[in-house]
Amino acid sequence: MNLVTAVQTLVDADVDFVIVGGWSAILHGSSFQTNDLDLCFSRRTENLRRLAKALAPFHPRLRDLPQDVPFVWDEVTLRNGTIFTLSTDCGVIDLLAEVSGLGGFEEVKASSILVRAFDRNVWTLDLPGLIRAKRAAGREKDLKVLPELEGLLEAGQED
Amino acid sequence: MTAEQLVRAEERLRHPRPGSKVEAAQRFGIDLTLLIEQLRLSPAERARRMHDVIQVAEAVRGAARRNRT
Repeated sequence: MNLVTAVQTLVDADVDFVIVGGWSAILHGSSFQTNDLDLCFSRRTENLRRLAKALAPFHPRLRDLPQDVPFVWDEVTLRNGTIFTLSTDCGVIDLLAEVSGLGGFEEVKASSILVRAFDRNVWTLDLPGLIRAKRAAGREKDLKVLPELEGLLEAGQED
Repeated sequence: MTAEQLVRAEERLRHPRPGSKVEAAQRFGIDLTLLIEQLRLSPAERARRMHDVIQVAEAVRGAARRNRT
């Protein structure tokens, strides 16, 4: 069980999500490695229900929560938050309702492209959107990737 | 990326124009030959390769942890 399983499960469950962050960079050709899967999710009620149900078998749990503190994973929990940093049986997954520099799910989806990966068709940020998000996030690990992403964007641009 | 776009991208990565973003990436320390290699792959192949790298890294980390205990 791994992050590929998680992505496939979410797609098969018709969850509306966009791959952002490091895995999006990888899909665009970045050589940087990442261990976590960052996903922006739609907060529509039906989507929260699907998301909660799809990930439940992988025992999601907030990473910063002490082991002895109970955590309920359901659509109500999802509705009550916008950032979930999860450890799951599939690996580390961060769920985000908003992405810095872009906005909520609708804005993120508008800056996304559909690609074939993980044996599924998945939405991921387009390169300009990813660059905007990384620049806005502004953390050292985000800024470190920017020169490579900007180089990739320029290399692929029309004259 | 079409074949034509790939040829153009490879050319730009192989011979960065002075003052370009590609040149800035090179000066930053990015290995442009790795990017050429990545661009030749489909997104699916890039994901598969990275997944393999992560699996190996996790196996090595696991082995290191076991050796310490």
